[in-house]
Amino acid sequence: MSNYVERFSTSERILHWIVTCSFFILFLSGLGLYSRLFNGYFNLFGGGQNAILIHKAAGVLFFFTSLNMFLNHKKDVSTFDEDDKQWIEQRGGYLSRDETHFNIGKYNPGQKLFAIFIAVATLILGITGLFIWMPTFFPRWIVQLSLMLHGLMFAGSVMFVVMHIYLATIGNPGTIEAMLYGNIPKSWARKHHPKWYKEVTGESP
Amino acid sequence: MADTINEATRKGFLVDTSRCIGCRSCQVACKQWNKLDADKTSNKGTFENPRDLTPDLYNRVRFVEKETSGEVTWRFLNERCMQCGDAGCMKVCPSPGALFRTKDGIVSYNKEKCISCKYCVSACPFNIPRYDANDKVSKCNLCQSRVEGGMTPACAKACPTEALKFGNRNDLIAKAKSAKKVIYGENVLNGLGVAYALEGPPEQYGLPANPSIPMSIFLWKDVIKPLGILGFWGSIGAMMLHYITIGPKKLEDDTTGKEADHE
Repeated sequence: MSNYVERFSTSERILHWIVTCSFFILFLSGLGLYSRLFNGYFNLFGGGQNAILIHKAAGVLFFFTSLNMFLNHKKDVSTFDEDDKQWIEQRGGYLSRDETHFNIGKYNPGQKLFAIFIAVATLILGITGLFIWMPTFFPRWIVQLSLMLHGLMFAGSVMFVVMHIYLATIGNPGTIEAMLYGNIPKSWARKHHPKWYKEVTGESP
Repeated sequence: MADTINEATRKGFLVDTSRCIGCRSCQVACKQWNKLDADKTSNKGTFENPRDLTPDLYNRVRFVEKETSGEVTWRFLNERCMQCGDAGCMKVCPSPGALFRTKDGIVSYNKEKCISCKYCVSACPFNIPRYDANDKVSKCNLCQSRVEGGMTPACAKACPTEALKFGNRNDLIAKAKSAKKVIYGENVLNGLGVAYALEGPPEQYGLPANPSIPMSIFLWKDVIKPLGILGFWGSIGAMMLHYITIGPKKLEDDTTGKEADHE
């Protein structure tokens, strides 16, 4: 009997890494637009004008793939049950060294909130991005507000992504395998997502 | 940001609207000196022409016709880049050297360094910058090259009534004040390089009474930008701190945890 369970299908994984790549292209090409302090990052793209072009193309890709990813998991990430409540009350056990056990389904509330935040941020960044794309076609106040919101959602997203990367790698050793190979050791599933483990294997965790 | 102005040597305009006769010599002289093409225009039943600034029209005379109780007032306002002391365009421009301050306090620009983001269009309190056919910024720079060569800007040189007076900004304003003129732009936005002596409230001329850098632009550049940078490094620091204080959730812990489950 296999010691592994499938967590993410091939198409889910490919979609995730497309979103990841477009996010980092957006991040690097947008840094110089965020502040003159980061002007040097324009050189990665051969100047500011090219960086803007690439930012726009990557933005379209990110907008649709990121929203697609959210819609694929909409049901899983937007419902919170009693066990999730307990997880939130104890901050998932992340603020203490003590052993904690939560009866968590496929995603814990932290992952759910991250998914919802990124979906909202994607929408706002996409819509404001469109106004900034063609500023002379829209009323000035809309473009001004868009520039502010675009910066705000960018800064917020980057902070969430730092946390996401930490928790998916060194913060929870073994987790990254789910997004790389798709299969995850049963011991991992039992520890982190016991309710989901029971659902997919029928075994009690 | 190295946006410092030496107020003692700052050059600028004092536009005395009471002297303007709406002849548009300034528009023509500007086009000639800056080698700007003519714009297609249309007749809308007023002498005002063209109706707005364009990438090839750095300054124009705004005609303000108003009828109050049977009497018609006709006012002229020379409209152009105000050369703000605290310039919204320079604040948002992400390309160093694309918009810059000259030693005379003028807000000038270098099209070759412009990256066509158009942020300056949104950040200007007076809606002045326009983008040309090559998608590069264009606006009045007070004939920077003429000023640095010791000449007056083309428009002021052509003005037959001295409605456009160019010179040391402090002197011009002091002189206008001693003549009991009402000055617009003396202190707002750290002083406008193009100040006006108006004959009525600024709103009548289509000027904002209290011009300022738009609030959302201020929040973006002065609040969100620094906090975002702080937040980025802060979140990385927090994750590192978490790792060394509380530590990761190691998988091995689970085997012991599982035994405990059978209590």
